[in-house]
Amino acid sequence: MKIALNAFAAIFVAFFLAGCATGPKFSEISSSIDEPAADKGRINIYRTAVLGAAVQPEVKLNGEVVGKAVPNGFFYVDRGPGDYKITTSTEVDRHLSLTLDKDQTRYVRLNISMGFFVGHVYPELVENTVGKQEIQQCSYTGR
Amino acid sequence: MNKLIVILIFLFTFSVGGCAFDVIHVKQIPVNLESGNYCDNSFVLSTNADVTPSGGYKRTLKQGTRWDCIGRVAQGNVYATKDQILTIEASNVFEAYIVISSKKLVGFYLPVEHTYSPLENPIPLVMDELKQQPK
Repeated sequence: MKIALNAFAAIFVAFFLAGCATGPKFSEISSSIDEPAADKGRINIYRTAVLGAAVQPEVKLNGEVVGKAVPNGFFYVDRGPGDYKITTSTEVDRHLSLTLDKDQTRYVRLNISMGFFVGHVYPELVENTVGKQEIQQCSYTGR
Repeated sequence: MNKLIVILIFLFTFSVGGCAFDVIHVKQIPVNLESGNYCDNSFVLSTNADVTPSGGYKRTLKQGTRWDCIGRVAQGNVYATKDQILTIEASNVFEAYIVISSKKLVGFYLPVEHTYSPLENPIPLVMDELKQQPK
């Protein structure tokens, strides 16, 4: 009985963690990440929520796939000044619209909420002070 | 009995299958932002201001934040800040600036959508005006 319980627990933990990002953490590589070009800004996109780890939709920026919503993962995109829409799709589309200036850094957290069949991942613009802190332990999932 | 359950599941699935889950909307009106020399003033909020945009999620405009006029729409002058993030949220999330008329917050300008989202009840703001300050 005990062995079965341990096996079940091990499988549960493995399943729970299987979808989490495993690359180098932001805090380890941030100093080696190049600054964006002078005429561009940066959008850091990250997900801290492990709940619903199997739900990892693509993240689109103005319709272009730029990454995936991997739990405990982050990536960034450098773009020129302008208007942007960040979209995630599960059983529904959720989007965040935001502006970006040159030399500006923005932080977008990918949250998860209850859905009908699967969880919904939705992007949220957060204060830079919050984003800088929360992204530290996220692992790089960019290309 | 089993057939009844299957039929009920089928009916339920069929009925919600067409739902887009986009059930909460932010009321938006297309507007034209005029960004010439219509205003050059700024102000600092003297107190927190709690507002509930049409999406239903409460937001707080924080005491001490500086707001700079960036233009006007038909409903009032549009002010933006670098001191806090302001979004309005329903099923989707929109970055927003505030629209003020007669020292009352009357709604929000959504810069990406180029739309205006009115507040149901305008809110008077307590502000310290910083006229002609460099931006």
